[in-house]
Amino acid sequence: MKAAATKTFFLDAHPPWPGQRLCTYHAPAGTAKAVVVYVQPWLEEMNKSRRMAALHGRQLAQAGCAVLQIDLQGCGDSSGDLADASWAAWLADIHQAAAWLIQRHDAPLWLWGLRSGCLLAAAAGRKLATPCHWLMWQPVTQGRQLVQQLLRLKAASEMQAGQGQAAAAKARQQLAAGQPLEVAGYTLPAALVHSLEQATLEPPAQVGRLEWLEVSTRADATLLPASVATLQAWRAAGAQVREQVVHGPAFWQTTEIEAAPALLAASLAALCDRATA
Amino acid sequence: MKIQIEVLRVVDEVLSLNGRALGFTRDTPLLGAIPELDSMAVVHLITALEEQLGVSVYDDDIDGATFASVGSLVDFVREKLPA
Repeated sequence: MKAAATKTFFLDAHPPWPGQRLCTYHAPAGTAKAVVVYVQPWLEEMNKSRRMAALHGRQLAQAGCAVLQIDLQGCGDSSGDLADASWAAWLADIHQAAAWLIQRHDAPLWLWGLRSGCLLAAAAGRKLATPCHWLMWQPVTQGRQLVQQLLRLKAASEMQAGQGQAAAAKARQQLAAGQPLEVAGYTLPAALVHSLEQATLEPPAQVGRLEWLEVSTRADATLLPASVATLQAWRAAGAQVREQVVHGPAFWQTTEIEAAPALLAASLAALCDRATA
Repeated sequence: MKIQIEVLRVVDEVLSLNGRALGFTRDTPLLGAIPELDSMAVVHLITALEEQLGVSVYDDDIDGATFASVGSLVDFVREKLPA
């Protein structure tokens, strides 16, 4: 049986967007039983979670899944600056990654998102001609929350200079006027921030399976309240939904790079388990 | 007092202080005194307080004075708790 293997290469971006996208492909052991596109989170969370993403990609490949990880326009080692990135380009990147896998393997498609990547995965899935399933790690249910966090970060970073209160208001005004937001060393175009702000985890018209995983360090952890409502909506739309909270660190934001082995194990079981809910 | 315990638990968890925060008093300084409490950590702390204690924090609440000490933070949370 063919062994699992990993290779890295550049794909030309889908027209009309210029440049290239760095991809990491985890080829499956044997015939692929699923194809999986990893949809990364943004900004620092992308950097901090790289290791977990790589670990899981390899594990999934060993379990028979073909996994493609793609650096989005302006992110990681792909072409372009974040200042020129757009939600539309990012959707195209995910669609292109899915198409690449589907051309090579005849197997069900999964979109695997982490944090804000779940919002992009949901948006991408809604527009795909192919039906797909979703694997969501610690989903952000509303893009609005993320934008709020960014504005808070802006305020917090100016707090010690005594400018905290004014900073967030000023940033909002600038964004409304179409100017980019500069925060934590990143320059974010206003249109991208606006797209993210509008993004939600509303279920798509065509639903399949949804595997939802959250991570917590608390012994008595339950799902986040916002998650409960979202899961109900997906069930109401006819999706086969399974959800879990596992023990582990918030590896996408911890100061030191950390791994969450319980999440890896649960995710592998969730995706590769043939039982239907 | 109960609010203080809850707030310290959240501070301890968010800043990965491994139990150290549980021994803090009202007078313990936070912002500027704890290296782990940088801008990013302030944002995570606000999110955690919102999620776990049910408070809502607005842009103009983000002020150095709020995070100056355990006491100032606890008072802030107490004021924000739904009645």
